[in-house]
Amino acid sequence: MRRFRLGLTARIVAVLVVLGVAVFPLYWMLVTALSSNGDLFAERPRLTPDIGRFGVFVEALAEGKAAGWLLNSLVIAVGTMVLSVGLGIPLGYALSRFSFRGKAVLTVVLLFTQMLPEALMVVPLFALFRRFDLLDSLTGLVLVNSAFVLPIVALILKGAIDGIPRELEEAGRADGARPFTVLTRINLPLIAPSIAATAVIAFFHAWNEYVFAVTFIFDPELQPASVGIANFIGELGTPIQTVMAVAFLFTLPAVAFYLLAQKYVVSGMTAGAVKG
Amino acid sequence: MTVLEQTGAPKTIRRSGGRHRPSPLGSKWTPYLFLAPAALFILVFQAVPLAQEVYLSFTRTTLLNPTRSEWVGLDNFNRIFGDPDFHRTLLITFVYVIACVVGAVGTGLVVALLLNKGFRGRGVARALVTVPWAAPGIAVALIATWMLNAQYGIVNRLLNAIGLGVPGGAILDSPRYALPAVLATTIWQLFPFTSVVLLSALQAVPQDLHEAATVDGAGRWATFRAVTWQVIKPTVGLLALLMTIWSLRRFELIWLMTKGGPVGATETLVIDLYSQAFDSKELGSAAAIGMVGVVISLIVITGSRLVARAVEKEDVR
Amino acid sequence: MSKKPSRLGVVGAACALGLVATLLTGCGSDSGSGDGVTKLTFAASTFGDPGRGPKLTAWLDEFNKSQDKVQVSAAAVPYPTFGQTVLTQMGSGKGPDLVRFDMPEFESAADAGLIAPLDKLIDVSKYELIKQPDQFMVHDGTRHGIIFEASNYAMFYNADLIPTPPTTYEQFASTAKSLTKGDVYGLAFRQTEAEEAGVWQDIFNYVYGFGGAWSDGKNLTINSPENLKGLQAYKDLYDANVIPRGADAATFRRMFAEGKVGMELNNGGYVTATRGQNPNLKFSVAPIPFPVRKQGAILAPIVINEASPAKEEAATFIRWALEPQNQVKLQEILGASSVATTTERSAESLKETPFLTVFDELTESSLPQIVLGFEAKTPDIRKVVVQNVIAALQGKADLKSALDRAQQQATELVG
Repeated sequence: MRRFRLGLTARIVAVLVVLGVAVFPLYWMLVTALSSNGDLFAERPRLTPDIGRFGVFVEALAEGKAAGWLLNSLVIAVGTMVLSVGLGIPLGYALSRFSFRGKAVLTVVLLFTQMLPEALMVVPLFALFRRFDLLDSLTGLVLVNSAFVLPIVALILKGAIDGIPRELEEAGRADGARPFTVLTRINLPLIAPSIAATAVIAFFHAWNEYVFAVTFIFDPELQPASVGIANFIGELGTPIQTVMAVAFLFTLPAVAFYLLAQKYVVSGMTAGAVKG
Repeated sequence: MTVLEQTGAPKTIRRSGGRHRPSPLGSKWTPYLFLAPAALFILVFQAVPLAQEVYLSFTRTTLLNPTRSEWVGLDNFNRIFGDPDFHRTLLITFVYVIACVVGAVGTGLVVALLLNKGFRGRGVARALVTVPWAAPGIAVALIATWMLNAQYGIVNRLLNAIGLGVPGGAILDSPRYALPAVLATTIWQLFPFTSVVLLSALQAVPQDLHEAATVDGAGRWATFRAVTWQVIKPTVGLLALLMTIWSLRRFELIWLMTKGGPVGATETLVIDLYSQAFDSKELGSAAAIGMVGVVISLIVITGSRLVARAVEKEDVR
Repeated sequence: MSKKPSRLGVVGAACALGLVATLLTGCGSDSGSGDGVTKLTFAASTFGDPGRGPKLTAWLDEFNKSQDKVQVSAAAVPYPTFGQTVLTQMGSGKGPDLVRFDMPEFESAADAGLIAPLDKLIDVSKYELIKQPDQFMVHDGTRHGIIFEASNYAMFYNADLIPTPPTTYEQFASTAKSLTKGDVYGLAFRQTEAEEAGVWQDIFNYVYGFGGAWSDGKNLTINSPENLKGLQAYKDLYDANVIPRGADAATFRRMFAEGKVGMELNNGGYVTATRGQNPNLKFSVAPIPFPVRKQGAILAPIVINEASPAKEEAATFIRWALEPQNQVKLQEILGASSVATTTERSAESLKETPFLTVFDELTESSLPQIVLGFEAKTPDIRKVVVQNVIAALQGKADLKSALDRAQQQATELVG
């Protein structure tokens, strides 16, 4: 019995340590954002956020370009989410329910794309974008981000549709419904959690994407937050508090969204998901 | 990716793909209509650029004038393989990938076992532990750089306080400590993913078997090996494969923390390829480096499939 | 049922494609002209500098208000990635219309034909251009740029910490050592690979200040004994731990402004920036106290992108910038830097900043930070040199063999 107690204490301590390590960097981001210069550069830094300096967030949004960056990120992320899920559903359905020539090849191609680094593809895509006049446009980023996250979305959705008993569809078809109606009426409601998971994955794939954005966007007005924040590293003069405030605002939606949708994302993931 | 194929649907359902019977869902064109838009997309944004990249790897092309390429055959490959710096890059890539796999899967397993037991607040703990994985890579690179700052970073202050300070303090500028620091950051970001996936794999461990083993007087370690490990082994294998592929293509975190430096200490293949393309402006060599990476990934995937198949056979026997 | 099975499939596909098309047309944005106004972008890293950035943007606004045909907007591209970002864009036939380059990137862009020749666009005979820096704007009889800013390197020092500035290298080193205490560092310079262009600027002063040079105009001389001496001095200071190691320029300049760094070798452009960060800092400037009075200078040309569809309009802006009253304003914004034409320093600014004359006196002995005779290859040579010097700093090689290796690699590069 005693041994059990000790084990329990040790376990609690271990869990607390793990949680501390997991959360500390974000906590530190907040503390840094809410510290005065004196605190930051003092011999002993302050370890708790100075809530009185909360105005730094308001300033970061009001004065700098941060609000515009976040808005651009939002546009890119929503566009990517809609497009990749919109294209991923029929693709996943086709892969799950039909047999057709080239299916094996297509599956292999989808898997293969997962190992292509963005940094490798950025040069030829740059040429492609120039030809189609997609440089310096958020549309271009939506398209390329969708193409990169689409295979994952489709594979997750295929897995989800695989799990739906065929009998349900056959019942629908007996009523004379066409394939597309079967998909929308019968399958979609049943795989809603997986759709939610892929939507979150696609959204944050685009929200976080950096390589394409930094290469394809020249106009500062169109920069997403990932590029804006990365540019802070080495930019003269922006106070670290502002940098951390913006980075925190950039991180918060991602973390909050993942926590809220965690149940679905995790089930989607464990059914074979991949985060970009 | 491959996870899906292997852990995804039970076999009975996979068969329902109906490979051999004529599709009851309409004409033979129907599937193509469903997949055409997506396939077109992947063709335009992945296949075409990849083909172009393959072509570039056999040319000398400069970023300043990317439309003019000069065919040079295998020159780029000969050059990079003859370059000792590239050998170092391969070695660093190898070390980085192995350390990521071992670190992320190992940490993930320990955390999953910790969180697998019931206790109050477990839900909250499970949620909080996923925070690092949800945080955007850019933000992670930024906060890591700040925490590792030589003069004011919290890490250096702590190390100095306990007398373990790095001389000069500049962890990310030291060829010795930069790679460990980047690795620690990477693993910090990855372990939530591995632990969540392993946690759900652990749900499949039959509790009665576990109890039976304990009653039989088997030690914890023996029970773990005999019961738990057997159940989660395939998941561990798949996670290892996934971590390998992700680590082979990881870019932002390393680029923003060190740009591959100092003195190449953190230069993986992808970093090397990017700086060849955009710093040295040599698109040809960059493409050649990229091809090496792609071939390595292919070998890893094929190899892992062969291993998986062999293991499966073993199990059947 | 199987007769028209695919209609809804078609609809689905069409919807998806339609979505793509809508997105394409919907948020496709393009700089361009509406109501007869030409919109131009002017990229410069200086737009992001504290103190100077906002003032430069205000100066652009004066141009925008002075007429109603052309609107120039500022694009602040951060210095560490400036060359890479802008050259990539220009190489692809895109990018900003107007660019403020540093010399190495200017040379390689001019060589690659990415910069519009200015001879037909701007009649330079109308202006009194300062000859010494202006000679570098012309390649084989073709003018590629106009000096936007020329700025000599000097020693900035905190006048509270250092009452009398050092006049020899030995004094310089010992001052740096004696000041380094607690959270104060005697000196700061760039020493990380991430700041390759900045390290190049900084080591330039050590090489030239000890009588060295990167080339003799025909051959590279990277591993010459003088260079070794100069770079050994740079490495000695690094090894002596008198600088905040790992700190980038953004950080250590902030530290200088906060009084936590005693000395820094920097160009005149940072007078305004330093004041912008801390108006109360007491600092002054003296010539770099190295054995040979020879130092680097930032020459920053303004150029027109060859790919710009509006070269004439871009030239309108440059002509406006060259007008005497606008040159004076620009010069005052840039602080201790000089501009394309000769401008009088006002009595007011001399009173406010008495050490301005120090910079002016250095003009004759200052050199642009390029490799003479190998101008267009400067960025490549820079990369090789900086990487090897940092390898030596980090103890991966001794300095002599690092320089030998740099010499060999760079010689192969320029072939």
